[in-house]
Amino acid sequence: MMTELLTNRRDLLGGAAALAGSAAFPRLAPAQGAPIRIGTLTPLTGAGGPYGPVMVKAVKAVIDEVNAAGGVLGRKVELVSEDDQTSPEAGIRAARKLIDVDKVSAILGTWASSVTTAVAPLCWESKTFLCTVSGADSITALPHQGYLIRTQPITALQGKKFGEFIIAQGAKRVFIVSPQTPFAKSQIDNITLAMKAGGGEASSLIYDDKKPAYRTEIDEVLRFKPDAVVFGGYTPDTAVMLKDLYRADFKGLKVAFGYSVNQKLVESVPAEVVDKTYTISPSPAEGSKAYDRLVKLIGIASPDPYTTQIYDHINLVLMAIAIAGDSSGAAIKDAIRKVSQAPGGAKIDNAIDGLKAIAAKQPVDYDGASGPCDFTEIGDISDSKFRYEQVQAGKIALVKIA
Amino acid sequence: MLSYVIFTLTLCGIYALLALSLNLIWGGVGLVNLGLAGFFAVGAYASAIATGAGAPVLIGWSAALVVGAVVGLVVTFATLRLRDDYLAIVTLGFAEVIRLIALNERWLTRGSDGISGIKAPLKAELGLQGFSYVYLAIVTLTVLGVWALLRRLDLSPYGRAMKAIREDQQLAAFAGKAVLRFKLQAFALSAAIAALSGALYAHFQSYVSPDHFQPLITIYIFLAVTAGGVGRPSGAVFGAYLVVIFLEATRFATEWLPGLQPVQVAALREIMIGVALILVLHLRPQGIWPERIPKAPAPSTSPTA
Amino acid sequence: MILILQALINGLMTGALIAVPAIGFSAIFAVLRYPNFAIAAYATIGAFAAWWANTTLGLAVVPALAIAFAVTGVVGVVAEETSLKRLRDKGALIVAIASIALNLVLENVIRFAFGNDMKGYDLPIARDLRFGELRIGPQQLQSLALAVIIMAAMFLFLRYTRFGKAMRAVADNPDLARLKGIDPARIAIVTVFLGAGLSGVGGVLIGLDTSIDPLTGYRVLLSVFAAAVLGGLGSIPGAVVGALALGIAEEMALIVTPATYRTAVGFVAILLMLTFRPCGILGERAA
Repeated sequence: MMTELLTNRRDLLGGAAALAGSAAFPRLAPAQGAPIRIGTLTPLTGAGGPYGPVMVKAVKAVIDEVNAAGGVLGRKVELVSEDDQTSPEAGIRAARKLIDVDKVSAILGTWASSVTTAVAPLCWESKTFLCTVSGADSITALPHQGYLIRTQPITALQGKKFGEFIIAQGAKRVFIVSPQTPFAKSQIDNITLAMKAGGGEASSLIYDDKKPAYRTEIDEVLRFKPDAVVFGGYTPDTAVMLKDLYRADFKGLKVAFGYSVNQKLVESVPAEVVDKTYTISPSPAEGSKAYDRLVKLIGIASPDPYTTQIYDHINLVLMAIAIAGDSSGAAIKDAIRKVSQAPGGAKIDNAIDGLKAIAAKQPVDYDGASGPCDFTEIGDISDSKFRYEQVQAGKIALVKIA
Repeated sequence: MLSYVIFTLTLCGIYALLALSLNLIWGGVGLVNLGLAGFFAVGAYASAIATGAGAPVLIGWSAALVVGAVVGLVVTFATLRLRDDYLAIVTLGFAEVIRLIALNERWLTRGSDGISGIKAPLKAELGLQGFSYVYLAIVTLTVLGVWALLRRLDLSPYGRAMKAIREDQQLAAFAGKAVLRFKLQAFALSAAIAALSGALYAHFQSYVSPDHFQPLITIYIFLAVTAGGVGRPSGAVFGAYLVVIFLEATRFATEWLPGLQPVQVAALREIMIGVALILVLHLRPQGIWPERIPKAPAPSTSPTA
Repeated sequence: MILILQALINGLMTGALIAVPAIGFSAIFAVLRYPNFAIAAYATIGAFAAWWANTTLGLAVVPALAIAFAVTGVVGVVAEETSLKRLRDKGALIVAIASIALNLVLENVIRFAFGNDMKGYDLPIARDLRFGELRIGPQQLQSLALAVIIMAAMFLFLRYTRFGKAMRAVADNPDLARLKGIDPARIAIVTVFLGAGLSGVGGVLIGLDTSIDPLTGYRVLLSVFAAAVLGGLGSIPGAVVGALALGIAEEMALIVTPATYRTAVGFVAILLMLTFRPCGILGERAA
């Protein structure tokens, strides 16, 4: 009963907005039918809490923008946000509601690999499209029949970049610290491989991510006499690691994943603790405007990789719906690569321009805020540049894109 | 919508088994197990690993029962001499250790990746829709079976002996009841039921991972048992259904609130859950479906709280 | 040898962080006889109160600690009076469960008001002092000293002041205390104020070493419990000794066990301790 009421209310709102829209944009076709619903399933509580809220904010900003420009296929786009509580058990309940009650076309932004692995079968069974930022390499190996894309680069690629960058900085001995994540082992293996290829050496430690101090862990790190330390954790534990490393007077190179050291972390610790730390995140080629657009849209100077990725999810999905002329998950599945990587397509960096190009029957090749967003058959990104940034006096400054 | 209802009802059944498990030792012998999520995990992993090695699903479920009972015995053995409040804290630690083992022992549990592709019984034969109906039936029948078993136990002399222990250990011991043995048996049976619930969950979702088994589940089950009425199997089952429906309803309730950030909505949902538990404890401490204390046959035994 | 000595020092410093909230937990347990899970949220609230005092009012550590103590104490008393008090006669377990729910509520009130973003104090961070090959953190040393001072103050308060004696009398036997003209309700309020306030102070100390977010207190909850159990539930000096022992056990164990099992080490330490000494290091009775 409750949901019926809700649906009616939504229809009402959708209709009203569409009316207003058609008045304001007389050139566009008047809105017809039900709104297009897009679900976000991000961690708003629990361990992933530092990341989820801003991800939803980015999606909401894009949807508002697109609705203001007349929606997609003349229909209003509606966001349904659910909290996965950083738990696959809660994530599945939320996903079922998104799929069965809200009938969303796509679910965006699943963060924890366990949540993505749990939710993915529901998505492909119900023909709902799923876009994820999870890092476990095993995710794209699931039998997802094309209903899944992942914008987080595979760890082999990232690990290689880390190793090469560290070698290029003249460091030979690297120590990797990370909590137990589904990609920790693979990251460590790949960084080690790249270090050895460059004539260096690597060692690693997996720590318990809930502790208020890591002094003895840091002692172990320092016994290795590293020239460089790599941080693979999330912000709360990385902050503790950085502080304890600073206290121990470590003077070497510090390199972190873009999600480990983000703007919030930089703001929350004394400047000298994190100063000169390099971060590496997936990125589009130099000159792509998507990243700058995202910065303006959400008002955050250095959005972390998860935010850039979910921004790409929503843009891609909305364009795929437009080009398919159909908002079903199956249609998105079939159309997604027509907007992400159409051969000879116009380089597009946001959905509004993309929707116009699609209306003008031009082929579209989206270049996003997290990378070129070209996908392999199994849903991994085929290539990505990386943003190398450095924390300088409390700000994250771009060093290079390569 | 229908598949959402079917899904929610299946989940209700799985929670109901956990509630029955907790009710057995809490309502039965007065022990508190804050490590319920740990036993849930043990069962889920036991069945996932067994069936992953080629065992049929029924063998997996039996394995979960056995492993659950054995782990339950081990935990009880290590802790039974403790006072209740110590036991509560130790069982909480137990759940964390189980989570850590699942997280770190890749050779056994595939670590933080979790085990995916767990056999869903008859899914290939029945199709998606058929499977969800049949699984709902399996879970519901299991709940009914366990409920009937525990109800019989509850009303038997054995159940009365358990409750005597709950009310006053020393008196029960004085009356010739083997307190330790009762506690051991009750805890082992309770752990086995929680493990069975975990196994049913694993084959329902085809995936388990260390992230599944967070303390929040234990809180939900405590809410279920207190809401339903401690000490009565019917109450526990009723409470579990109520809690899952409440958890889901909070999603729709919060959609009516305008002008809130998504993170505030999420916070509000968890606040509602906490407030509900506190309110139930205050307004209906005996639960919605309270325990019936059978009349003592002779006027001599006065309960001492 | 250096390795072991350094682990010992590290353990004392990590333990000191846990010690203060453990004192708060034990004080409440000693008088009211229930394990209060809401101390996790109290620690978080203390950390946020001090953060506000530090970044908005520009206060230094000590006044910020005082504000955290007062704010958390008041929150604790209000929470206790509204949500837990009337459950006390239903048994310790019911109150404990209600306190789990209370913790969930308070954690999310913080989340609702401040969001999940990490916050940090506007305070300098000091490098470790070096003594040969050993290193010691000056700020961690301060935390350790603070824990010892708080413990001593609590201990003296309980032993020598009229109010402290009354608290112990209520702890021992509320009915007898009432006969002697002590009002257990008043004692309970003061105890909760002290216990919650100290948890808040502990939250600030943890926040100084880490960063703060709605889960700051929750992350250390198991360690606080473990410390209190290890030292003996309800014993104030026990809480400190237990916290330091736990810290040392965890850091020592790192030399031989994988770092990811640190929490498990604490748990095994509890089990071993309780097997051989069921009342903890300084506790009364456990069985």
